[in-house]
Amino acid sequence: MKCRKCGEPAVLELRRHNAAFCAPDFLGFFRNQVREAIRKHRMFARDEHVLVAVSGGKDSLGLWDVLLDEGYRTTGLYLDLGIFDYSVESKAKCEAFAARRGAPLLVASVAEAVGAPVPVIQAVTRRPPCSGCGLSKRYLMNRVALEHGMPVVATGHNLDDEAATLLGSVLHWQTEALARQSPALPSTHAKLVRRVKPLYRLSERETAAYAVLRKIDYIVEECPFAKGATSIAHKEILSRMEDASPGTKHNFLFGYLEKARPAFERAEAVTLNECARCGQVTTGTVCAFCKLADQVKRAT
Amino acid sequence: MAGGRRVKDVLRELDIIPETVLVIRGDDLVTADQVVHDDETIELRPVMSGGSAP
Repeated sequence: MKCRKCGEPAVLELRRHNAAFCAPDFLGFFRNQVREAIRKHRMFARDEHVLVAVSGGKDSLGLWDVLLDEGYRTTGLYLDLGIFDYSVESKAKCEAFAARRGAPLLVASVAEAVGAPVPVIQAVTRRPPCSGCGLSKRYLMNRVALEHGMPVVATGHNLDDEAATLLGSVLHWQTEALARQSPALPSTHAKLVRRVKPLYRLSERETAAYAVLRKIDYIVEECPFAKGATSIAHKEILSRMEDASPGTKHNFLFGYLEKARPAFERAEAVTLNECARCGQVTTGTVCAFCKLADQVKRAT
Repeated sequence: MAGGRRVKDVLRELDIIPETVLVIRGDDLVTADQVVHDDETIELRPVMSGGSAP
């Protein structure tokens, strides 16, 4: 197999693009896709300080790597979820990457903020672990960005993540989730920062290849709580469809964003308030994060 | 497994969807049309991550 651009031996075939690339040309392709995502959705400007949420995995560290190479002003944020050895190892990967690149890294602990780590939150709430974890992460990412005066949080969500989320929302016709699904969510309140996903044009196989070719030492093992998660089942189904018909994931997500999303965007604006407890943004009186912290406090 | 076969044939025999793994030999990525020889070791690294990203 030959590189589409230079004719040298290829290292990666991208069937959905009907192309194969050598290592240097794949890295160029990857960076161009990130540039295009940032440009098309005006994710952030050159002079804006970007908070990059990093988990120690291939996607978020790969994203941080590209943004550093592109010359953006970034700070990493690692959220310590307190998930046993997985969190210890993933934190070490983030710290090693930050040290190697000479980039600043902030660390926030879910256990400190909520009152207990993710495994205890799961036991207390009796809900899927990804539920309390996702809520805590979204809350803390926004709060840390605000505290440090950063207008935007970038996450490592890739094409597979987004297509799987879309499939889950469509299967249950979660119209509010469908309206919110976007590579770039604008700030709709002074205390809400922008949330952007510069890797949404790239598959997770491509982000893994980028990390390997860039020799990024990332955590390969999956979060122990992700086993059996519905999002994984959706990804497997989509990968089988992709195998039978390359381009399926891309067409599903991009077709939705271009043709269907506008229909789900609600005409009426949601009323946003400031949480009576913590001051962060909520649609109610007390935010979901403070309610979660209360629940944990009562049970522990 | 016996070598002398293309990567895509090895993956098919193991019932692994090519989209879900990277094939690594030493420090290099390997495409599906390349042949793996008897004396070689390849790593099939899963690329799927899940749960609540990032």
